[in-house]
Amino acid sequence: MAKTIAPNNVAKSNRKWITGYSIIGLLLFITYQFLLPWEGLPLGIYDAIYRWMPPSAINESLVYIIMALGLNIVVGYAGLLDLGYVAFWAIGGYCAGWFMSEFFYFLNINFLGSVPAEAPGIHINFWMVLLIGGFVCAVFGILIGAPTLRLKSDYLALVTLGFGEIIPQVFFNGENFFGYNISNGTKGIVGVDSIPVGVKNLGPFDFGWKLLIFLLLTAVMVFISLRLRRGRLGRAWLAIREDELAASMMGVPLMRTKLSAYAVGAFAGGLGGVAFATHVNGVYAERFNFTISIFLLAMVVLGGMGNVWGVILGAFILSWVNGNGLTAFGQLYNEQFGTEIDFASFTFLLFGLVLIFMMLFKREGLLPESRLKLMLHEDELDQIDASSKSGDK
Amino acid sequence: MKKNPAKVALVALVAAAVSLTLVSSSSNAATTLYISSDLPKQGGSADQSESTNKAIKLLLKRMNNKAGKYIIKFREYDNSTAAKGSWDDAQCAKNAQAHVAARDEVAVMGTYNSGCAKIIVPILNQDPKGPMIMVSNANTNPGLTKIWGPGEPAKYYPNGKRNYYRVVTTDDNQGAAAAEYAKSLGVSKVYVLNDRQTYGQGVAQSFTTNAKKLGLTVLSAGDAGEGWDDKATNYEALFTKIKALSPDMLYIGGIFDLNGGQLVKDKVKYLGSNTAVKMMMPDGFTGYPDFLALPEAAGAYLSFTGLDISQFPKGGVAEDFQDEYLLTYGEAPTSSFSVYGAAAAQVILDAISRSNGTRKDIFEKMKTVNISAAKSVVGTQLKFDKNGDILSKDITILIVKDKTETFVKKITIK
Repeated sequence: MAKTIAPNNVAKSNRKWITGYSIIGLLLFITYQFLLPWEGLPLGIYDAIYRWMPPSAINESLVYIIMALGLNIVVGYAGLLDLGYVAFWAIGGYCAGWFMSEFFYFLNINFLGSVPAEAPGIHINFWMVLLIGGFVCAVFGILIGAPTLRLKSDYLALVTLGFGEIIPQVFFNGENFFGYNISNGTKGIVGVDSIPVGVKNLGPFDFGWKLLIFLLLTAVMVFISLRLRRGRLGRAWLAIREDELAASMMGVPLMRTKLSAYAVGAFAGGLGGVAFATHVNGVYAERFNFTISIFLLAMVVLGGMGNVWGVILGAFILSWVNGNGLTAFGQLYNEQFGTEIDFASFTFLLFGLVLIFMMLFKREGLLPESRLKLMLHEDELDQIDASSKSGDK
Repeated sequence: MKKNPAKVALVALVAAAVSLTLVSSSSNAATTLYISSDLPKQGGSADQSESTNKAIKLLLKRMNNKAGKYIIKFREYDNSTAAKGSWDDAQCAKNAQAHVAARDEVAVMGTYNSGCAKIIVPILNQDPKGPMIMVSNANTNPGLTKIWGPGEPAKYYPNGKRNYYRVVTTDDNQGAAAAEYAKSLGVSKVYVLNDRQTYGQGVAQSFTTNAKKLGLTVLSAGDAGEGWDDKATNYEALFTKIKALSPDMLYIGGIFDLNGGQLVKDKVKYLGSNTAVKMMMPDGFTGYPDFLALPEAAGAYLSFTGLDISQFPKGGVAEDFQDEYLLTYGEAPTSSFSVYGAAAAQVILDAISRSNGTRKDIFEKMKTVNISAAKSVVGTQLKFDKNGDILSKDITILIVKDKTETFVKKITIK
């Protein structure tokens, strides 16, 4: 094991990433906004981009990344296993459904919305709905967290699992919620207002702009994650993650710290939920099921719990394989060899194998957090160099 | 006069370019166009979708991959994901963009789920080179084409042009036919249940409305009857309550998958046999061997949008197509939805063959599609009204007898 691991990556600079991130973002934006619609683009490149990384796939991945970053705060930073994260996605989504569509057709409220003033329903500006969605989720995070946080590990996971099942069920059956229709049930809320960007309202083919907006939201989440981690709250989370009892003995207020982890994590769920609703132009209750919670958790674990860049990588890979990669590979393979194998149906086999191998050979994830890596390889490190972790604990 | 070499070169270049274009356009006589299918290839509907894709491929083979002067190729899209195990809203949105972006693709056959169609249709509708046509073989939700929920159907067609067609008729017609048949059975008091899903509620609602219109007494409250809990272990309480109202018939609007087996067992256990208190279901209960195998299912009436495979006319293209399917793939189509998939493709190909190969023109030509019953793979005329709904509104009534679905009656809605 390398002796050169920095014992505490918290001390590393937290700003450098902005430059790299902006350059990658700009390149993506130019590719999808200007290069792709350009008629002169060789058909080969055009087809390749659409096969391997179509614009909507990259936007979808970004939504998954936002969610995974939120979950990372709860699971990766504070060490609270959450099996019901999809509930926040649902709440965020329905905030968009309620405040940005014709769902409440008997009302007529328009606040800087992107539709004509006489359109029925509530139409609040997308950017405000983002905040509303985030804060509503944060409140729910606290509400749910408050009674459950006395529980530890497995028991807490069970309660979050229950929460993740109940909230989507409420929406699923929400057509008659004590006499009121709050969600249209399984019919879903179809048609969400377009995103206003000042010069125009984004239509269905403005991927480049949407990409830019989603990249911006991701950047906000990365920024929040990195800054919080460095600060007092983040250090308290890590302390709780590593040893709750010791943390409380050292004067970390457990309740407040854990609740803030839930609130911040849920906030990201709200952002992602609203963004996703504009991505698919609607909210559908059937999406919010248990497998999505597990899928998000797998992203965090695969990428590297606690490491923002690892989580982004994990979320990107898994969502890409699930939505696009395997199908595209299957098409290529079938064209090459004239077979008719349905590759997409092997997705779960692949996921299962990947998780097993990860647990066997790289438990800390693809891009591990240095601190977690230290913990998982504690005994090896003890033998090699006992002094390298003395500064850490 | 001195010639400018640059000008000469330019003229030569232009001439070369023009002649090249002419040559290339003349050698381009047979343009290749793609049609695509958009179906859930993972999860519960996977077999159905595979069978549908096979039926479309067979249809193309029968037509030598040609429609008019165009060579037609076929591309399959999957609108489900493994993580969800069913159709996935994000995947539908992505496919919609991909259909529009694929420059050689001109029309879409799909989707299986109405919810997915509600995402795809508005995007195809706003295609700058379109609108792009989509023809469904299985969407029965009325709201896609008719005034139904708030804002429907206008909200699916942002530019006002109707680019969506379907070869099966809608749930409201199925409910109407079921109510009509219930009355003809001499039923007077009926209790309605629904599975609390879009489809089930839609059918139950139209059954309730039409039953009331025909003078039947509907004992259940609400405009779509009572919802059953698909996670319940038994329905004793529900049926004891219903028994007290002594209905002649129970209408179960929903899908068998949602605990329909237990529901049917408990119905017979607590309400009595299917001759004493009749039982009727929509096509959400057809095509399930597990349902037919239940002793309690005997005597249950089923309705089905379109024609049942056994009812396709004999001796024409329809029978021929099925024989060839059996011969090619070694098995019969899983249900008539797959053959309706081929019918949807047939409609698209007809429009393409009369068009100039652009999405816009295919959209225009779709309005005048008219395939006679003799030529159609489903044996009924394929012609649409201005909403995009098929004109032949046939509903088949079946009864479960000796563990098979047996034809009772064909009801044609006017």
